[in-house]
Amino acid sequence: MADSRIVPDARRGSVLPACILAWLLPGAGHLYLRRTGKGLAFLVAILTLFALGVAWQARLAPYMGLDDPLSFARSLAQMAMGLPYFIARSLGFEAGLVTAPTHEYGNTFTEVGGLLNILVILDAYDTALGRKD
Amino acid sequence: MASHLVALLLFSALVAVVFALLQRQGRRERIRFGLMAFGAFVLSALVVGWLMFPFPS
Repeated sequence: MADSRIVPDARRGSVLPACILAWLLPGAGHLYLRRTGKGLAFLVAILTLFALGVAWQARLAPYMGLDDPLSFARSLAQMAMGLPYFIARSLGFEAGLVTAPTHEYGNTFTEVGGLLNILVILDAYDTALGRKD
Repeated sequence: MASHLVALLLFSALVAVVFALLQRQGRRERIRFGLMAFGAFVLSALVVGWLMFPFPS
């Protein structure tokens, strides 16, 4: 749960841009809110997770159907990465390679990267409201 | 290609960094929490892997 104390130097009226930037690029919301160290650390850690996942032949092609809820959920998790996900897909890394020994690691890394980015977006939201430093 | 152990160590380290930054305030607390999270990831994976060893693949 977020800390209830007020942080005085939080940007006012910056909640929406902070959250959108945080989704587009992990850590960008914190950089916008002038939390440079935290933002850079999120950027490096989450982008590394995602890049490793792509290099390890993750499947990025979206699955949009409720007949397979787990595949749908993992697609949503990957999309939470924001721009890096769509850039990787546009560069042709969409299919992955199911027969690669690292394929499942790749899937896990890209999905967890997206899930962590959701937590980072929520943290940016709290920071923009002044509830967190 | 990375080994299972390298993948585990990379995953644990990167996720522990994010968790530490999200969950704790202050440099010392973050380092402590990050190391604990990293250790918990690695240790639990090794224990679960060891427990699964007798089962056929």
